[in-house]
Amino acid sequence: MSLTSRTRFVNPRLGTYFGIFTSSLAGIVLLLIIFEQLGTSEIVLRWAMLLGPIVLYAAIGTAVFTREPMEFFAAGRRVPAGYTGLGIATTAMGATGIVAMTGVFFLIGFDALCLVIGGLAGFVIMGVMLAPFLRKFGTFTVPSFLGRRFESRMVRILSAGLLAVPMLLLLAAELRMGAFAAAWLTGRPEAVMTVTLVLAIVVTVVLGGMRSLTWSSSAQAIAAILALIVPVAIVAVMVTNFPLPQLTHGPLLRALVYQEAAQGLPLNEAAGMTFMLPGEGYAPIAKRFTAPFGNIGPTAFVVATLTVMAGVAASPWLLPRVTMTPGVYETRKSLGWATVFFGLVMLTAASVSVFMRDFVMDIVKDGGSQSLPDWMRQLMELGFVRIAAGTEQLSLTSFEFARDAVILSLPIAAGLPDAFVYFAAAGVVAAALAAAGAATVALGNVLAEDALNGLSWEPLPRRGRIMVGRIAIIGVALLGGAIALLAPTDPVRLMLWCFALTGSTLFPVLVLSIWWKRMNAFGAVAGLACGFAVAVLTILAGEAGIIGLDGALAGILGLPAGALAALLVSVATPGPSRTMLELVHEIRVPGGEVVYDREMRLLRLKNREHG
Amino acid sequence: MMERKERKPYWRHTKWQMVASVVPFLVLIIVLPLYAQSLNTEKFLGFPLGYFLSAHGIAVIAIFTVASFVNRQDAIDHWHGAHEDT
Repeated sequence: MSLTSRTRFVNPRLGTYFGIFTSSLAGIVLLLIIFEQLGTSEIVLRWAMLLGPIVLYAAIGTAVFTREPMEFFAAGRRVPAGYTGLGIATTAMGATGIVAMTGVFFLIGFDALCLVIGGLAGFVIMGVMLAPFLRKFGTFTVPSFLGRRFESRMVRILSAGLLAVPMLLLLAAELRMGAFAAAWLTGRPEAVMTVTLVLAIVVTVVLGGMRSLTWSSSAQAIAAILALIVPVAIVAVMVTNFPLPQLTHGPLLRALVYQEAAQGLPLNEAAGMTFMLPGEGYAPIAKRFTAPFGNIGPTAFVVATLTVMAGVAASPWLLPRVTMTPGVYETRKSLGWATVFFGLVMLTAASVSVFMRDFVMDIVKDGGSQSLPDWMRQLMELGFVRIAAGTEQLSLTSFEFARDAVILSLPIAAGLPDAFVYFAAAGVVAAALAAAGAATVALGNVLAEDALNGLSWEPLPRRGRIMVGRIAIIGVALLGGAIALLAPTDPVRLMLWCFALTGSTLFPVLVLSIWWKRMNAFGAVAGLACGFAVAVLTILAGEAGIIGLDGALAGILGLPAGALAALLVSVATPGPSRTMLELVHEIRVPGGEVVYDREMRLLRLKNREHG
Repeated sequence: MMERKERKPYWRHTKWQMVASVVPFLVLIIVLPLYAQSLNTEKFLGFPLGYFLSAHGIAVIAIFTVASFVNRQDAIDHWHGAHEDT
């Protein structure tokens, strides 16, 4: 069919373009290394490393500006599986995932895996149970899908309102994390950097919406992954003679385990629902690296895995991405790519923390008699590490590490040129821009399509629609920046709450809306409202200490509550109409025209007849 | 486009494929970390086995699950004529 085959046209030069981007990035880093050796002033190098890549992202974002709704809201549905997967993986972890996960791995070792496993499982569940069907439906936002599926404006507006909460939390978390890295890089206050990042996001995505976001965040993802992997690969060559840190830190880890035992590092035994994730700020190494369940109890580990899984699988800032591939088959494949990239980055984060623990172990393994090496003094000057008060003889537990600085500490500890540390920080900023940009555009689209125009299925005229979309994106970016400035909460906690909220609110309703055709609008409203309310109450009660359940585990109550409410209310109320059933049957089949595109085409024809 | 009477068998097939992909995966990711402690006494590539399986193992299992699902579901689509036009 001519209408679909044109939209399936994938740009054959994508590889060339991103090759050019990657070589420019490598050029910047190599030039900075050269200038560093030539003695250029440090502050110039730092600003160049921050602004150079940002200018590239903004150039990519503005170069693909557009006035077509299909391009603005869905990137023209011609993003191939690999790029979609790359974008989804980077957006799902964001800067919080990369920076904080490295720190958490370093401090509590094995227990951090619950978040990694949760993310991986989220992609699997999304790929098998949700993404192909949303692609067939083809709406630009998740609330539009729900509203159309249940033929209910109430569902559409309610879900738009409820989903804004976790998306704003995520946006604030990513901005804070990005501002932390940018502030370290430039030496300016975090507030200034938050504003800078908001501006960078607005400039990058405002002209092209989803299209700008897709291509600029592909570039950001490449930058973030390179900035994480290249320094570790160099360290891996230095330590293990092989540039594959993910697979070669095994023997090192084994030696580390014996030495940790010799050092008398505690072998904690956490009770079932204990959930002690290291917070922002300084903390000593809590437990042996490979011993499970020292800080997070076994039950909490499983609950956290499932909460993150549900949150990632149903996240409304990732799902619009999967509707932008050229077809249902490509959508399924894109989640496979997301799993590959996510696994790669998380295993790299784990190896960073093992290398770092090994470096620290070298200082203390001879009884801590020798003086501190230069790099450790440098880390202490930078404020990345401090020695606990009242320490007489150095041991592994007498150092306290800043959780979010572990990723920047490794290149310093290995004695790499400073440019690599700047590169690592620039990678964190890139990941923050990718994730914060995704949250901004997704929420902006939800506002423009489902809140402002939520009462009508008929979209605004073309120009007005794009205009409203752009204004919504700017508004959301400013709001996110304001929250990041006014509510300085630990980004990891914000992200975990966000996953708990999304999982409880949306996951049961989305899954049931596709796999259970008896589900109706009343069930959807009940499921959304009940899941959200229970999750919010659990988080508040958990944080206030009323119940002994950590806020991050709110999914254990929210998920079943949402699912039960949706099931019971659906059964108790009249079944869905014939057209609704026909719609469900249609989205279950990959072949045929995209449902949303067909509706828009029919609408245009109808308007032409009347006008 | 698929014939109407193919809908039911197609969806039955798809449902079973979904169950076959998701259930073993979920069981594995929940059960495997719980036994990591006792597996850690063994080693593989130098890694303590329990840690290796929970980190690298689950990543590989996830990639394998999605890959096999994409392959099988595509075969199901073609078998019932539900695939996309090319």
